[in-house]
Amino acid sequence: MPYWPLSGQVTLGLRWQQHGEYSQHPEYQNFYRWCDEAYEEMDSTLVVQQYIQQTIRLDHNNIDTILNAPETQDEGVWKYEHLRQFCMELNGLAVRLQGECQPSTCTQMTATEQWIFLCAAHKTPKECPAIDYTRHTLDGAACLLNSNKYFPSRVSIKESSVAKLGSVCRRVYRIFSHAYFHHRQIFDEFETETTLCRRFTVFVTKYNLMSRDNLIVPILEDESAGHGESEA
Amino acid sequence: MGVGGSGFQKRRRSCGPAGVRGGNGCHGMRLPRMDETSSQNQLAGSGSPAGVANRQNLEEPNQRIQYSIPGILHFIQHEWARFEMERSQWELERAELQAKIAFLNGERKGQENLKNDLVRRIKMLEYALKQERAKYHKLKYGTELVQGDMNPPVEEGGEEVRVDPDAILSTNTNVSWKQSRHLLRQYLQEIGYTDTIIDLRSNRVRSLLGISSGENEENHNSTPAVNGSDTTKRQPDPNRWNVSKKPQSTLEAQIRDAEKAVMENFDFLRSEGMEMDEDDDEEDAEEEEDVHGLKSPKVAKTLDVDDVDGEPVELDHEFPFLPDVEDNPPGVMGFGPARRGYGGPGGEDDALVEGLGELAQLTVNNEADASYDISSTKENFRKTWTAKYTLRSHFDGVRALCFHPQEPTLITASEDATLKLWNLQKTVPAKKSASLDVEPVYTFRGHLGPVLCLAMSGDGEKCYSGGIDGTIRIWNIPSSNIDPYDSYEPSVVAGSLSGHTDAVWGLTFNPQRQHLISCAADSTVRLWSADTRSPLLYTYSVERDGIPTSVDFVYESSNQFVCSFNTANCVIFDLETGKPVMRLDTEPDQGSNSISRQINRVVSHPTLPLTITGHEDRHIRFWDNNSGRLVQSMVAHLDSVTSLAVDPNGLYLLSGSHDCSIRLWQLDSKQCVQEITAHRKKFDESIFDVAFHPSKPYIASAGADALAKVFV
Repeated sequence: MPYWPLSGQVTLGLRWQQHGEYSQHPEYQNFYRWCDEAYEEMDSTLVVQQYIQQTIRLDHNNIDTILNAPETQDEGVWKYEHLRQFCMELNGLAVRLQGECQPSTCTQMTATEQWIFLCAAHKTPKECPAIDYTRHTLDGAACLLNSNKYFPSRVSIKESSVAKLGSVCRRVYRIFSHAYFHHRQIFDEFETETTLCRRFTVFVTKYNLMSRDNLIVPILEDESAGHGESEA
Repeated sequence: MGVGGSGFQKRRRSCGPAGVRGGNGCHGMRLPRMDETSSQNQLAGSGSPAGVANRQNLEEPNQRIQYSIPGILHFIQHEWARFEMERSQWELERAELQAKIAFLNGERKGQENLKNDLVRRIKMLEYALKQERAKYHKLKYGTELVQGDMNPPVEEGGEEVRVDPDAILSTNTNVSWKQSRHLLRQYLQEIGYTDTIIDLRSNRVRSLLGISSGENEENHNSTPAVNGSDTTKRQPDPNRWNVSKKPQSTLEAQIRDAEKAVMENFDFLRSEGMEMDEDDDEEDAEEEEDVHGLKSPKVAKTLDVDDVDGEPVELDHEFPFLPDVEDNPPGVMGFGPARRGYGGPGGEDDALVEGLGELAQLTVNNEADASYDISSTKENFRKTWTAKYTLRSHFDGVRALCFHPQEPTLITASEDATLKLWNLQKTVPAKKSASLDVEPVYTFRGHLGPVLCLAMSGDGEKCYSGGIDGTIRIWNIPSSNIDPYDSYEPSVVAGSLSGHTDAVWGLTFNPQRQHLISCAADSTVRLWSADTRSPLLYTYSVERDGIPTSVDFVYESSNQFVCSFNTANCVIFDLETGKPVMRLDTEPDQGSNSISRQINRVVSHPTLPLTITGHEDRHIRFWDNNSGRLVQSMVAHLDSVTSLAVDPNGLYLLSGSHDCSIRLWQLDSKQCVQEITAHRKKFDESIFDVAFHPSKPYIASAGADALAKVFV
């Protein structure tokens, strides 16, 4: 298959060179180096994930393109697959936080002073340290988004299950906000590398998955003008 | 019918990658490759002769001078390969269509049976209605005796006998009871007694209505014997006869008596009607079951359209026929995949028609049960693996998995940069499916990119994972009973092994030596010690052979390892000196493109001097370590073979492929004993890894669809 033998230095399959279409991803130049396919030509049942990952690989800064659903795409599935992708990429932030965000220093999940977030992964919501909140939230999201009960198919999704996406977004967003307000350096590095928080913010705004009041990380230009308070 | 049909078609579309896709050529994966080589070959072939021609002053403007023998040979070889491929694709398609025909035939048969049954029921109801009408007439007009009345039962009896052989098994008991009843009725009719009974009844009615006739009493007295036999059959009767035998003194008494009898007769009518109803109900129920049985497979299929799970039903059928086909002489083997995968065209029809009966009994839409049922009815002695656990929690393709040496737990590694620990004893009951969902008990976070390979230490305490970033991470495996939402334990991260500068693609742990060996895209193979401070023991530079794709220890000889390369080379090295000990004779025999023969996985037999390689060109090849010779080469899958695993006893080989299936092979006969379609495709990739549990009867597969499955 196309991925072998994957390497940054070694040029890979003749096939890909000759097709002349390279992925521009800075890191793993040869890993996903097969020619891009048009959405219509993808015939896999995992087409939406393929398409999203392909556009992200082309240019992860091009948020509008990434979030622009193909015309025929069912919106529920589109949102669902994007959320999967967000949770997956958030792992990168969690790994970085794991090194720095200690249970002793960040004993609670907080962003601004306004709220303490309780971890919903337990029978009775609990004040987990921030790093545990992060891990539990991502683990819980992984279980929910892969649940055979709510999301048995990745081709069509029930309306009632689509409704669950909002709460996942809300919880997952707190990881961004915690990193932003308490581990700014990590956040900035991560954001430079992935543009993930910005993409997430545009995503939840576009599909109305979170209320604007909850989007406390001033990541969008127009917003940062309005909410100057957090720049401090 | 429509539902089943479309479901089947959809399935076909989703499961027939080679057959369906190869044709449109837009796939960029296979055909273009061929085209490239051909254009290269043509260039190579035509280029130099053209130069020669120029130097020769264009003496011969003839076109023929443009070709050289090697060029032509190349071209012919290429064309031949292409035709063969197309041929196998067509064969595949043909086999699929035949399977479809057989399936539809079976379905038609089922429908016919159903129809016959329904016709039978209609006749019965008609008959019952006629009887009711006759009785009603008799009651109302007394004199009217509908003689045609008695014909239906005979007809019905005949019908019954005719239908029975075709009738669906489950109605058998019911039918035999009815049959005897009809038989009895026929006897009675032959003797002529039924008429008298009817006469008798009508007389009673008459007497009830005040038209008495003395002669009837004789009839009445002459019938007991028959009545006796009759009563055994019809419960309400005895009372009637018992009661009616007593009186006969006065007219009033007789009338009263008759009245009573008639009342009872009414009872009888009513109860017989009820009996009939119950009968019908019973039959209804049974028929409904049958209908259900016939329909449910279709339903199951349509449900499964977006769920690969359905496919094995079809595939497993064909399995029992594989060994036969595989007895073909080796020459035929080369074109085996289509045939082998889909069963011989000859045996197919019977197989599927026969299979339908079993299919009909399936009510669960689970491929596991299907394969189990089918094979258990056919060959009880053979163990069949069925999907039992579905491991869903990864967000992206699962690249590798590995079992704990003793416990029923495993770890998976995924492109989503995480590893997950699963305890097969902690399951979540899944609705409407016999397979169980498992939720991970722990998620290992540390990699920043896709995790590509995985190995576990011999005691199951530690595991090692290699990532695309070139790091190998060491993990202390937490208890499999840990609470998934426990607080973070930094001690799980046990460090990393740094050295590789590019993606780590192969990782194997040797429990005897306590060594770990890794290979990476930086063209090195490294040997690590499991528990010393300076873990890197040796770096073998192997760029001469290409980029290593997979590495394994040679278990039969204690100080060697075998490494496979993208160039299709496969070399056994000495662990101490790092020198090649044996270069397996992988030189392409037909000058075909070496990339197409790239080895994706190499495994060493646990006891024999045997090396097994899985190739991009769909082959599995077996090599003798001592001579370096090819022992056997077989087309094993419909797409590239990506993963191999040998069971701990060295008897079976498990292979996974991008054709979405895993296949189990008997190592001594090299026969495929089971195929399971397990995963879906993503970016044209499907199965990344397969594994045997070292001590328990589990096998597992890891797929690009972000799932891992465990079979028991």
